[in-house]
Amino acid sequence: MTLIAFQDPLGQLPTPASTFAEEVDPLFTFLTVISIFFFTLILVVLVYSAIRYRRRRPDQPPASQMTHNTTLEVVWTLIPTVILMVTFAWGLKGNLDQQIVPADARAYTVEAWKWAWAFHHPGDDPNNPQTAAEDLYCEIGVPVRITMTSRDVLHSLYIPAFRVKRDVVPGVRQILWFRPTELGTYDLFCAEYCGDGHSLMRRKVHVVDAETFAKKPWIDIPQTPEGRGEKWYTQAGCIACHSLTDQITVGPVFKGIWMRPGQLQSGESYVADADYIRNSIRNPASQLVAGRPNWVAGAMPQFTEAQLTDEQIDDLIAWMKTLK
Amino acid sequence: MSGHATIVTPTPEGFRPHAVAHHFKTAEQEFQAGKLGFWLFLATEIMLFGGLFAAYFLYHGVYAETFRVGGSTLNWHLGAFNTVLLLTSSWTMAMAVRASQLSNRKALIGFLSLTWLCAAGFMVVKYFEYTYKFSHGIGPGYFFAPEGHYAELFAGLPFPNLYFALYFTMTGIHGLHVLVGMGLIAWLIVRSSKGHFHSGFYTPVELVGLYWHVVDLIWIFLFPLLYLVP
Amino acid sequence: MTTHTPAIETAPSATRKEPSYLDVTKGFWSWAGTLDHKRIGIMYLVGVTAAFLCGGLLALLIRLHLWTPEGMLFENGVYNQVFTLHGVFMVFLFIIPAIPASIGNFVLPLMLGAPDVALPRLNLASFYLWLVGSILTVYSIITGAVDTGWTFYTPYSIETQTSVLSMGLAIFVLGFSSIFTGLNFIVTIHKMRARGQGWFKMPLFCWAIYATSVLQVLATPVLGVTVLLLAFEHIYNIGIFDPAYGGDPILFQHFFWFYSHPAVYIMILPAMGVISEVVSVHSRKPLFGYKLIAFSSISIAVISFLVWGHHMYTSGQSEFVMMAFSFLTMLVAIPTAIKVFSWVATIWGGSVALSAPMLYAISFIIIFTIGGLTGVFLGALSVDIHLHDTYFVVAHFHAVMMGSTALAFFAGIHHWWPKMFGVMYDERLAKISAVLILIGFNVTFLPQFKMGSLGMPRRYATYVEQFQIYHQVSTVGAMILGVGFALMLGYLLHSLVAGRRARANEWGGVTLDWHTPTPPNLYNFDDEPVMAGKLYDYTELDISPTGEATFKAHKSTATVGSKA
Repeated sequence: MTLIAFQDPLGQLPTPASTFAEEVDPLFTFLTVISIFFFTLILVVLVYSAIRYRRRRPDQPPASQMTHNTTLEVVWTLIPTVILMVTFAWGLKGNLDQQIVPADARAYTVEAWKWAWAFHHPGDDPNNPQTAAEDLYCEIGVPVRITMTSRDVLHSLYIPAFRVKRDVVPGVRQILWFRPTELGTYDLFCAEYCGDGHSLMRRKVHVVDAETFAKKPWIDIPQTPEGRGEKWYTQAGCIACHSLTDQITVGPVFKGIWMRPGQLQSGESYVADADYIRNSIRNPASQLVAGRPNWVAGAMPQFTEAQLTDEQIDDLIAWMKTLK
Repeated sequence: MSGHATIVTPTPEGFRPHAVAHHFKTAEQEFQAGKLGFWLFLATEIMLFGGLFAAYFLYHGVYAETFRVGGSTLNWHLGAFNTVLLLTSSWTMAMAVRASQLSNRKALIGFLSLTWLCAAGFMVVKYFEYTYKFSHGIGPGYFFAPEGHYAELFAGLPFPNLYFALYFTMTGIHGLHVLVGMGLIAWLIVRSSKGHFHSGFYTPVELVGLYWHVVDLIWIFLFPLLYLVP
Repeated sequence: MTTHTPAIETAPSATRKEPSYLDVTKGFWSWAGTLDHKRIGIMYLVGVTAAFLCGGLLALLIRLHLWTPEGMLFENGVYNQVFTLHGVFMVFLFIIPAIPASIGNFVLPLMLGAPDVALPRLNLASFYLWLVGSILTVYSIITGAVDTGWTFYTPYSIETQTSVLSMGLAIFVLGFSSIFTGLNFIVTIHKMRARGQGWFKMPLFCWAIYATSVLQVLATPVLGVTVLLLAFEHIYNIGIFDPAYGGDPILFQHFFWFYSHPAVYIMILPAMGVISEVVSVHSRKPLFGYKLIAFSSISIAVISFLVWGHHMYTSGQSEFVMMAFSFLTMLVAIPTAIKVFSWVATIWGGSVALSAPMLYAISFIIIFTIGGLTGVFLGALSVDIHLHDTYFVVAHFHAVMMGSTALAFFAGIHHWWPKMFGVMYDERLAKISAVLILIGFNVTFLPQFKMGSLGMPRRYATYVEQFQIYHQVSTVGAMILGVGFALMLGYLLHSLVAGRRARANEWGGVTLDWHTPTPPNLYNFDDEPVMAGKLYDYTELDISPTGEATFKAHKSTATVGSKA
């Protein structure tokens, strides 16, 4: 802990929990100290000269007419140049480490979409949406390599405690790696703006010891269909738009949704039965509800069998029946 | 300073005199200001097309085979013919500028008309090229649904739509510039017939001439990149 | 009508030979159809101020919404539209045209001793294009607003159901407005300088405007083609930026930042120019290191074309590319540092008037230093990975844009207000508002630096509770800022109806703009100015014990040197 205190003596950064913090934090501290020094210097000279040389009577001539001083100008060009070059090299070195993935890293995958993350841990079938985990679990000291894809727009996976961030780009496989160093639970954010649910793409990263990790804590599938439905509700990202209270966030609220009548944009009326719900997930554009502003009307993404299985939808429907 | 006399440039017999705008000290200053401003405008045109060329080179690098096949579907004979038309029109445009400097009204109108006709010919050829492609389901964006032998040709190639997206965007924006140029040349013809341009004042002819050469120049790059894809 | 003729008494003084530009003609059409650079500048001033007020109100709504972690005011989607509109108003309608098109339009020809800009009709066209762009922006709000952020990143901007098309068109039109202004100023500087005024006898404001104009002319067309392609994506899925059609969304970012990074300097360079003038006049001292400042403007303009990739460190560029962008980013910081040191050295040993414009200029130097230093954090590769897209970035660019450019704009307005309208505002109130704004800015944005370092991502409608205290302090700061700006608007408008008559040379400036009658004539000068003396030569002035400044050689004619 003394080492950590040395890295970030001013407490500007979140608690460090990966090896990258050892690179980033000292540079951040160096820059903070340099900035405070130069800011204070400029402020003091500025305020001092503004007061010392202030115009006391309207016709007061300036105390000096000096407009040029080569030595001074060379000095104040060279000093920033040297500091900036040091900063550049230091930042580059830290970044190189972030690019080179160790060979023994454990392979994870994550798929992002509006608005959820689906983490697949080592040993999962990345093509089975039922094994996707909401939260990320990793073992202390063991490097993690995440292959990231996006189903729709840009996202960005950001774990402040690990000092890592990488954009998730549709059509491209992006790689992110880190080596966690402290046990605990940390925030994981989406850092690239992706629409209404952007700020709801918040998850947790759990750094656990080897014994806990071996028990695969991310596999936690409830026994009852209703229980599973609730899990899929969070994991598939329904939660970002469909609230369980009376408050509409983006899409229709799920509270009391089962067999609720309503009207479509086409003017037809509908009842939220199993067929309606299934079709809303598989082909949302075919039955948009009326009465919502145009910018949210098309917000519901389409889920294919590979993204949400028929059994998962059955579970969701079973769970929806319980929402009163 | 508001009181200074209006400067009128020397005007040959039978032409309309040109009064220098109030805020310029000399006719030369006015001419040079107009010309510098126009060169800067042409720089913006180059930057605009530069963006499109950058996109072309990027995707040509990624989908080389697609671009080769896409390019092979264009009729390079027509492209070459259009290139000759534009090169000719650049020459007639240069001659028109010369004619205006010599206060030769007849030659000025003649060369401007020839330039206009070449431009019109270019657009006619472009029209036939476009309609032929459209009739075979080749269009930009979601108009891209190739039919017949095109469908076979593109089968299995990644994203042939991208080549045509760039083809239609680049030639479309270029064609728009040709149309604007035709409008400007027509405007010059009308003013020339009224005797507005002569050795003492030919700035508009000179500037439209510059514009026309740049439009020509851009085509010189478009033709090999789109029709003769390596 | 976007403006009105202010009710000011400008009865001809003893030295006045002609009516001022405000009095020479009257009525709506005399303004709407004017070719006079000063009136066009004033119309721009009214326009950009209106845009600033709209953007500012949106900013206050954003800050209020973020008072609680769940968000106090809006649904998420509406919040996204509010911050997008705040960005669009502030960037495209306010900051980019603010200094060049309003102050620049008014002052540049005066400083060059010219009767007008080189291309007056293009100047008016530029204003009307700005107006059309503003109307299109408002139209896109009415037809469903935009929720993409001002950066319009694809593919989100392709998928969204909001009015990206009309907003794109608005930006295309505004781009042309900006290009026309820049083009006009380059030609004006090349061709319209007074006799005797060589390049190094130009005030530094002209150098700054020149560098800005080069950027406007060369970078803006790339924005034009980018929004054009984005519009094609919306109309018929052209696919160039859409991965579903084989396109590359990262290409959009390259295009966008190829414009928008130079655009950052389009915003800050004119601000530096204003500060150079204000600091010199109010210290009654020539600028320290004139040539170094002039060259630093030009070198900033050149390097700024080569650093756009530092906005994309997390997008997966190759290490080599990132290294190059990081290195060049560090280089651009050097001329910036030189300018700050030079301003401070100018004040050192001067006769420093702690007037309202000077207080704004000092606030600028303080906040700009914060903005510049935090920029170095973001240029350093490994640190930026952590800070990218957090509130640290938000606070950094607000320090540069709002705390610096907007403050320089207000410093300039206060400095040239007596020249523009021939009246003076209440300086006591002006000083109070300058101090309020300096305090308000720091209370708003210092907590944002802190929460950004702690990992608070930007563009969040809701947030985790640990950040609430920082958000609340920031909101309080924004309210202080709001009060400061409201006060400023009040006393400036009040001065137009009841301000005291300004002195002929209110602050004792010596550049050619201060040689015109106050306010200037329709064609600016009584006689054609010839620049015989040195630049920034304050010994040309006689200062009376009451502070009345008159030129020694030509006390009555407002001409430099002699008319040859």
